[in-house]
Amino acid sequence: MKVRSHRAGKLLKGLWLALVLAFLYIPIIVMIALSFNASVSRAAWTGFTLDWYVKLFKSKQIMAALNVTITVAVIATVVSTVLGTLGAIGMHAMSTGMANLLINVSYLPMTTPDIVTGVSLMLMFIFVKVPLGKWTMIMAHIAFDTPYVLFSVMPKLRQMNPNLYEAALDLGCHPAKALYKVIIPEIMPGIVTGALLAFTMSLDDFVISYFTSNTDQNLAMIVYSAARRGVEPTMYALSTLMFIVVLGLLLIVNRRNGLEDIA
Amino acid sequence: MIDETRLIEIKGVSKSFGDTQVLHDIDLYIRKREFVTLLGPSGCGKTTLLRILGGFEMPSTGEVLFEGKDMTGIPPYKRRINTVFQKYALFNHLNVFDNIAFGLNLKTPEQLGCKSRAEMKQEVARRVNRMLKLVKMEGYEKRSTNALSGGQQQRIAIARALVNEPEVLLLDEPLGALDLKLRKEMQLELKAMQQQLGITFIYVTHDQEEALTMSDTIVVMNHGRIQQIGDPKGIYDEPRNAFVADFIGESNIIDGTMLQDDLVRFSDTEFQCVDEGFAKNEPVDVVIRPEDIMLVGEDVGMLRGVVESVIFKGVHYEMIIESNDCKWKVQSTTMQPVGTRVGMTIVPYNIHIMHKMPVLKEA
Repeated sequence: MKVRSHRAGKLLKGLWLALVLAFLYIPIIVMIALSFNASVSRAAWTGFTLDWYVKLFKSKQIMAALNVTITVAVIATVVSTVLGTLGAIGMHAMSTGMANLLINVSYLPMTTPDIVTGVSLMLMFIFVKVPLGKWTMIMAHIAFDTPYVLFSVMPKLRQMNPNLYEAALDLGCHPAKALYKVIIPEIMPGIVTGALLAFTMSLDDFVISYFTSNTDQNLAMIVYSAARRGVEPTMYALSTLMFIVVLGLLLIVNRRNGLEDIA
Repeated sequence: MIDETRLIEIKGVSKSFGDTQVLHDIDLYIRKREFVTLLGPSGCGKTTLLRILGGFEMPSTGEVLFEGKDMTGIPPYKRRINTVFQKYALFNHLNVFDNIAFGLNLKTPEQLGCKSRAEMKQEVARRVNRMLKLVKMEGYEKRSTNALSGGQQQRIAIARALVNEPEVLLLDEPLGALDLKLRKEMQLELKAMQQQLGITFIYVTHDQEEALTMSDTIVVMNHGRIQQIGDPKGIYDEPRNAFVADFIGESNIIDGTMLQDDLVRFSDTEFQCVDEGFAKNEPVDVVIRPEDIMLVGEDVGMLRGVVESVIFKGVHYEMIIESNDCKWKVQSTTMQPVGTRVGMTIVPYNIHIMHKMPVLKEA
């Protein structure tokens, strides 16, 4: 009796998990499947094709958006990685009270709804009379990327042997030299993880980009505006590629974090 | 061996962190080629004093002279002093060779007596290899520091500091994380290195045995004050107060009264001793080492007592003997079973009389 109920419980658990995963992933699987469907129709499967992908890469509008997306993501990642890393090092050196205050202030943008961040950034740019475009989008991305770098680097600094910096000074380094010869290499895994996270966040951002840009559109904005006109299978293809790139990046980040936990 | 020139002089150094004063008016000099140990329990200020010498902390008041010149405001990277840190602090992104070469690579070719970068590279390799040999780690050049054991990491940390040929090497409890056997080996090796290289070592530890084994001079510290400065034998045989007596080796510390010169009363008995210059009937601390109490027949002892407990310690037995409401710790190679009535005798020069602690705190 007992054994059977145990088995039934196990089965039920497995079923529940399968249901949850299905709920989460079936829409994406359907979308990926439809991106290979020869027919424009969403109802019928008329054969496998890569036409939508070819069309995607031939579209000037989409290629321009890809260009915007990558430019914004690369610049925002580089700047926010430098800012976040230096910020983390500075906060690490502060008194506990001050550091805690700054940590909480930095958490806030991560928990604020994107729409609030987007609208407020847009208002600020209008208020200081900066025309909306690619550069305001880059500034907005820097703003929301930086905390991700900060919180990837902080734990590395906390784990670091506090004597490392002193050892570098002891052996003849000026403070600045100690920073780049010893501290930066020591926390490099955290910096790389932070940069990858920031890049991912930039790549797939829609809401904040939508509010802080004007004619310069990134890929997410293209998908959105296309969807309003009636979705074409090229958009499925584009979304599929974005999903795969972001998934790949997140897998790398998770793997890095996992490896460090073991080490 | 030791030069009489004073290499470092610490004059009236105090240090406070916020409201807590961790060092009180420290006066100390360190001679060339001397092996000095700062010894004391945790929180006694010994590490802070070492960090002031390294340049990682500034004294709140007082000054530190190096070869007669004030070095109080000089940053660590301009001092001819190197440090071996407690947790090694090796650079994990560099291999063993690059860790040791770190300090040398920051120098110019001229500073190493070389004409070109290429020549310097060879000179660095030569010096690093000499250090690897000194710390018995040849063949480990290409290893990652993560792949080394605690003892090996310690050796690399020592090599990394010594390769810079400092005037003074500071060591902050460098053997604390090693097992007992390895620690004893390293103590002897460190002492041998110090004598071979002729460098001044300033060593921080809370392990009194380590201090006794290696040092030319021991500085006993407690509550941010120096309790006693002396050579190992002097400190062990003639502790200046009950704290030192208790911290260095084991001791029985009993309340007593100095009746007159060379006569003390404790445990309801009068004893001959060799101490003079105390006030008449002055209350004192009487310090007697456990190995200085001889067990004799009950009828011939100066004190009588009953064996309360026995512990086997390897070389000797340690017994607690109760006598006149006093508990005595006695070490002897012959065991007396629990409950045995015994007599104890103490020869006059093994009875150490000390002023009571509060008097010393003002001093």
